[in-house]
Amino acid sequence: MGSFPSPATEYLPAVARGDLAAFESLYDRYSSTVYALLLRILGNADDAQEVLQETFVKAWSNARMFDAVRGSEVAWLISIARSRGIDRLRARRIRSDRENDAGREISHRSAFVDHATGAEDAIRSQEQRAVRGALVELPEAQRIALELAYFEGLSQSEIAARLGEPLGTIKTRMQLGMKKLRERLKAYH
Amino acid sequence: MTHDDFEAIAALDAIGAASPDEESALRGHLASCIPCRRARDEFAEAAALLAKDLDPVAPPHDVRERVFEDVTPFEEPERDRGFFSRWGLATAATLFLALWGWREVGIRVMRERVRTQQADMQRLSDEKQVLELQREKLAAAVASLASANTQTIALTGAQMSPSAAAKVFMDSDKHRAVVVFANLPKCPSDKSYQLWIIRGDQPKPQSAGVFDVDKGNATITIENLPVMTEIKGLAVTMEPRGGVDQPTNANYYVVGKT
Repeated sequence: MGSFPSPATEYLPAVARGDLAAFESLYDRYSSTVYALLLRILGNADDAQEVLQETFVKAWSNARMFDAVRGSEVAWLISIARSRGIDRLRARRIRSDRENDAGREISHRSAFVDHATGAEDAIRSQEQRAVRGALVELPEAQRIALELAYFEGLSQSEIAARLGEPLGTIKTRMQLGMKKLRERLKAYH
Repeated sequence: MTHDDFEAIAALDAIGAASPDEESALRGHLASCIPCRRARDEFAEAAALLAKDLDPVAPPHDVRERVFEDVTPFEEPERDRGFFSRWGLATAATLFLALWGWREVGIRVMRERVRTQQADMQRLSDEKQVLELQREKLAAAVASLASANTQTIALTGAQMSPSAAAKVFMDSDKHRAVVVFANLPKCPSDKSYQLWIIRGDQPKPQSAGVFDVDKGNATITIENLPVMTEIKGLAVTMEPRGGVDQPTNANYYVVGKT
């Protein structure tokens, strides 16, 4: 990545060479993070699992396109998963106008269980604490606007309409929120 | 548009919130701007924090099995067929490289030409997008100015700039207001003007946008104006470049009641 180094780029270069063991490690390392994101976006375990599968299959076939200079491998995976998840969410909205929101039965703060080793756990919880700090520091209004765009795929106007705020306010909030996250990330690295 | 404008769009693009026009203008600009590409990548990494903030959830084990059933191992390299095969391969490779080198010179010249033409096309496409955006904004502003229901409100210069003035053209039907400023002093390079709406139903002012002036003049369009709630007034302050959530000072440049 440009100004800050990519943390943990370990597996994708080997995956790009067709190394299945590296791909297994990639899956074991990040599937829990990606699955949590997809549950948050889709609110439905079946859909989340299907998109998780698509995400990793795409990661396998497109690993050559990963560029460590541009970002970390987890951010690359997250961006594939988010894009596919939002596509699925929009398709579902069109089909059923989201029959009801009651399907969001899965808490996005559920228990953490995965295949990580103790050392990986420690590194991850350190990262997690730093990340939590970044989001907690954001004013609530900025965080809400960012989350509506990121997890629900809403446009600026849709967010403005939902929150009953002028479009300019929403735009400014999202830009300030993203600036703060970027600065926080720079400070962390 | 300036690099700051593109950087602001890159922030929105990273969370999928840039409008189609903004996205298209950004793509055009990124093709030729390395610092903005870097900013875009940094915002993308920052956006991933929103996902990393969630507590991880282990997927069911059968998903793992399905993933590994779906991936096809890459073709293995051919086996060694001995000395003659290796010699033949080496000769073929040498011949190929010689031919390839000769061809490469021609290809490079062609590529350079194509690159120049592509850069010209990209530049024209960028300019077209910028003009298109400006035209759309202008058309919306003119429509609001021309509407029979448009209400006009005059704002006056405040303590920081008594000679400044502004007129607000409020089009309630379209939930839009066009604010035209005059005689505002030039901002220092690290500052921007920020317009605030003072609403009856909100304890704090709401940002309606950030702007710079050109020879003292500026026009700002407020979309999604909250016409159903009481707007008590409008005010302009000078803030750090890019704007802030709440005014950092009470040094008003222009104020007015609606």
